[in-house]
Formats: sequence, C-alpha cells, structure tokens
Amino acid sequence: MTTALRVAPRTAVVLALASVAALATFSWPFFVPAQPESMARTTEAPLVFIAVLPVLLALVLAELSSGGIDSKALAMLGVLAAVNAALRPLGAGTAGIETVFFLLVLAGRVFGPGFGFLLGAISLFASALLTAGVGPWLPFQMLAAAWIGLGAGLLPARLRGRAEIAVLAGYGAIAAYGYGLLMNLWFWPFSTGADTQLSYVAGAPVLENLHRFAVFTAVTSTFGWDTGRAITTAMAIVLVGPAVLAALRRAARRAAFDAPVTFATTRGPAPSASGTDVGSRMRLRDTGQQPRIEGDPSPPPSPAGR
Amino acid sequence: MTDRSPAGSGVSPRLAEAPQDARSAMTGTGRLPRALHPGAWWLWAFGLATAASHTTNPLPLALLIAAAALVVVRRRGNAPWAFAFRLYLVLGAVIVAMRVVFRLVFGGGQGEHVLLHLPEIPLPAWAAGIRLFGPVAAEQLLGGFYDGLRLAAMLVCLGAANALANPKRLLKAVPGALYAVSTAVVVALSVAPQLVESVLRVRRARRLRGAAGQGLRALRGIALPVLADALDRSLALAAAMDSRGYGRTAAIPAGQRALTGGLVLAGLVGVCVGTYGLLDATVPGYLGLPMLLAALATAVVGMLLAGRRVHRSRYRPDRWRITELAVAGCGAATAAAMMAAGSADPDRLYPPVSPLTWPELTPLMLLTIVVAVAPAWLAPPPALAAKPAVESAPNPPDGTTRSAPRRDTRQPETPR
Repeated sequence: MTTALRVAPRTAVVLALASVAALATFSWPFFVPAQPESMARTTEAPLVFIAVLPVLLALVLAELSSGGIDSKALAMLGVLAAVNAALRPLGAGTAGIETVFFLLVLAGRVFGPGFGFLLGAISLFASALLTAGVGPWLPFQMLAAAWIGLGAGLLPARLRGRAEIAVLAGYGAIAAYGYGLLMNLWFWPFSTGADTQLSYVAGAPVLENLHRFAVFTAVTSTFGWDTGRAITTAMAIVLVGPAVLAALRRAARRAAFDAPVTFATTRGPAPSASGTDVGSRMRLRDTGQQPRIEGDPSPPPSPAGR
Repeated sequence: MTDRSPAGSGVSPRLAEAPQDARSAMTGTGRLPRALHPGAWWLWAFGLATAASHTTNPLPLALLIAAAALVVVRRRGNAPWAFAFRLYLVLGAVIVAMRVVFRLVFGGGQGEHVLLHLPEIPLPAWAAGIRLFGPVAAEQLLGGFYDGLRLAAMLVCLGAANALANPKRLLKAVPGALYAVSTAVVVALSVAPQLVESVLRVRRARRLRGAAGQGLRALRGIALPVLADALDRSLALAAAMDSRGYGRTAAIPAGQRALTGGLVLAGLVGVCVGTYGLLDATVPGYLGLPMLLAALATAVVGMLLAGRRVHRSRYRPDRWRITELAVAGCGAATAAAMMAAGSADPDRLYPPVSPLTWPELTPLMLLTIVVAVAPAWLAPPPALAAKPAVESAPNPPDGTTRSAPRRDTRQPETPR
C-alpha cells in the first residue's frame, strides 16, 4: 500500500485529539447535564458546538497538510474529489441511493489514511460548493466522511483479491450505517426540539438517552435511508471495486509517491526530503524525470545523477 | 463607494440597476457595480443568524427572514450559487413542518387548549414506552413552530450568504495554513465540469467502436475510462503545478516550528478539557466555555503562525473597503441590538407559550431589522457577468496565481 500523504506522529496526535473533541460535538446530548452553569439554556448548547466544529476541522486539515502536500497527491485529491462531487447528485433524491462512499473507501484503501481523511472532507466541501449548498450541516458531513476515508486507509494492508473486496464491501456497509447514525445524532436535538418523547433528556442517564436516540433513528431513517445507503455502497464496491482498485493502484504506481526524490547538487548538502524546500528550478528538473519513474517505484530514481 | 449621502442612497442603486448596456453611462452619479468581499457577506449573515438565535418571537424572526430575502434579491449576481436561496427557504419550511409534525406525533409540551383528540397508539416496551398521537394542544404545536422558525431563520440567513458571496473568491482568502487544502478544492471545482466532457468523449468513442448496450456493462465501459482519464489528468496537472513552482515553502527555524506545533497541541488539549467542562456540571465554571474559547484561540493562533511557511502571491486580491466594513458592521450591529433587546425585555423575545399570548414587537426589535436590511442599499450593486463579454475578455483568474491549474484544465474558471 502506498501512502500518498505521510502522517507524522504529531499530526496523528492532533488528529486523535481533534477527533475526540469533535465526537463530543456530535454526541453531547448523551452527556449534557440537567442544570449546567455555563449553558444557561439548553437551546444555546447546540449552537456552541456548531460553532466549534468548523474550527476543529480547519485545525485538522491545516495540520494534515502542514508537511506540504506533494503536488501529485494534491492533484489526485482534487480530481478524485471532483469525481466524488459529480457522483453525489446521481443518488440525491432517490431514497437511500448513495454514490459517494464507494470511491471514498476505495481511494482511502489505496492511498492511505491521511489521504482518505482529506479526500472525505474535500469531496463533501467541493460537492457543497457545486451542488448541495453550504450550511451548518456541512462540517458534520465533512468530518463523518473524513473518518470513513481514514478508516478505509487503516484496514489491514495485507489483504488482496476477493478477501480485500469482501472486507471493503463490509466496511463500506458499516461506514454507511455509521454515517447515517452520526448525521442523525447531530441533527437529533434540532429535529425534535427539547420536549417530545423522542428528545434527549438533559441530565438523564446515558443509557436512557441512547435508548431514545435508538428509537429516533430507527423511526426516522435506519430502515429506509441508511439500509439503502449501505446496500448501494457494498454493491458498488463488489461490482466495480476490482476495476477501480486497479485503476487507482496504477495511478499510484505512476505517481510513485513512495519513491524518494533525492537531489544531488553541487552547492551545499542535499536535502533528502521530498524536495518541498528546494527552489523551483530544482523542481523543474524533478518533473523532467517523471516519465522514467513509471513502473516499479522501489529503485530510487536518481535525478541529476552526475 | 461610500460617497453617497444617506439621503441619496435610495436613488443610486436604481440608477445602477438600469438596463445593462446603459449602466456604464449612468454610473457617473451611481456606484460602480462590483462584487463585495465574500467575507463581508458571511459576517453580515452570521450577525443575522446570531440575532435570530436570540429570539423565538415569530414577528422579528419573520422580519429577519424578509430582510435577508430583500438583500438577496437586490444584491445577488447571476452566478449559479445566487439562485440557491430558494432552496434554503424550502429547507427552512421543511424544518418548521418537521418540528410541528414531531410534536404532533410524539407529543411533548402538553397544554390546556386541546385542539383535537387523535387516537393513541402505545408502542411496545422496547420503544421506550412511547405513545403516538393522543390529544393535540395548541401550546404544543406553537412551541414547535416557534423553535422551528428560529432554526429556519438562522438557516435562511446562512443561505443568504451562500447566494451573495462568491465561494471561489472566498477560497482565495483562506489563511496560509489551509492553502494546500483550498488548492485541492479549486482543482476539484475546475475539474468537475470537465468530467461531463470526458463522459461525452468516452461515449462517442464507444459508439464509434460499435459497442452498443445498456445497463451495467455500458456503465462500466464508460465509468472506468472516465476515471482513468481523470487520474491521468491529475498526473499531468501535478507536473504542470511543479513546473510553475507550486509547493515552494519558506524556511522557518525549527524552534518556531516546534512552538507553533506546541500551540496547536496545547490548544486541542484545552478544547477537550473545555468540552468536558461544558458537559460536566461538577467542575468549576471556568473550565467550561471560557476554557473552550481560550483553547480554540490558542490553537488557531498556532495554525496561523504555521501558515507563514507558505509563500504565495495573489492576483487581484479582494480588498476590505469601507463598504465591506459597513456591511459586516450591519451584521454585528444586528446581533448586538437583538442581544440588547433581549436583556431589556426577555419576555417579548421569548414569548411564553402557555398561557397563550400574542407576540409583540418593540421599537428596539424594529431598529434591529432596519440595521439588518441596510446592506440592500449600502452594498454596491452586483457586477452581473454578461456571459459573452466575460468569455471574450482575458480570463479573470479566480484561483491564486501559484496554484496554476488553469492552463492545463482546459476550461478556465470564469465566474459562472
């Protein structure tokens, strides 16, 4: 498995911390106390979390790209996000047909967890700008999709062939249900208001609120929308998964993300990193070598080998 | 831009909105049509949404929605996103209806004025002992309506920003730390229209080869070549970006990099603690919201500092001028006035549902609405993109000059 985007240890820590905090912005109805001092009215609490989540998301995205995204990874991100954004309206309006997740899962699988996270977030953002519209729901959707891409990248790397497709299809179905649950969870306090029988009860035991949420989500969407979404995602992975995986792997091989780019220059010590802090003249020479990197990425190409 | 006296400001937009061809001749007295900085519209909309969040009184809420709609109608351009506003109005109506229906089906907020008796349907014990329907009280429905209307008003305010602000120009204004991500979004936005062209090309090639057929096989025959085409295109795009110097970063000393990273990490730990403090009533109050806000500010400062590594040049940057400040100020003033109205007269902003009372307006609320609607006249008229004129002109680049995907993606991103 190639990793199009390296996740440094610090980035992983940032990602984990932000994910914990972000999970709280989804699941706060389970834990909200009955008489909080800092939240005078329960109607204010959702707004605090809605305002916090975009900032958290921006922090994570900035941190993931802080090492400098390779231009090939960035172009791949943009193009795959465009494909995802174009796929999304195909399913919209038809109950439960969801066309976004299968490519996200497959791309996360091929290009690694960091790339999958970014792809999930950017796909939904681009889709919102193109067709779906920006609203308070967008950060929640972006984060949930980003988690799906991240999880796909973290699946065991050894699997190949039918086992891989089976695992990916299973993961896709679970992720589709999870996405539906998370979306229901963030909208739960808003859709029901504060005092129907399905609303969360501030200060009640977590289990009781969980029970109420389970009933709410079962009544509103799980058996219709979410099941349809899970089935279409798994079906799409089974039907076109092998071919798409092959196309993505071919692109990853051609891009040669793993191939270390070394520069041998006459002036000063050569920086060994991916060449991001070298001047543009050096980059030119690097891309001039691109076609030769095709094929097996294991032997390190040596541009400017003199 | 703001040289008009307030007395004359009612006239000038009408002049500027005269027929397109006559516009340039008449701007001697009016204002030049131009696009306002998208950030100004978003700040204005956030101000209105904040104001809407501070009341459940349907009168100011309806007036706020009307104010947002008036500004949108007067100041939106003819780009595709400018017509998204209707969608948000529909969504708002759906939210209100959903709230009321939930109250009707699942009960809650019982009241004295029972409008009608529906047959009760008790659900089994696994469903938390819920009963469906039952008596429907006026208070119950009104409570749902008030809550839903507030949410809908906030949504409509954000929808107004969506219709008024150019998202592509907003992407230009993101801080340096998000530069790479925003570049990816710009790539996605410019590639998406090309996919259509790619699909048409592949279909034509299939037909020339005599590959008829419908259904799954045809879908695979089209989808996979399109995907492969898109992936190949991304490699070409990457080479083009490389050759134009994308990815140049400034050298920042290791100490400073450790500092910015430390700020982000410390801020995130603080956010976790603050969230916990917000949700746990037993910890002292300063561990709640104040902690959360301070920690977020710390992390954001770290992020902004880290963004200084990215050096980029901007082609035709959007500037903040007095008009932008005025529009953003209107949003802030709207929020402030509504909060002032709330502290002066909380009962009128949160009209009690039981006993049933008529909602009332106060002068301060009216002032709030006047401030909110002022950008309909304060902002300059939108620069309507007459399509042929724009396309014959040299492409007005919207992305940052460093991203440079324009040359290779065959379709320039003119503001459509």
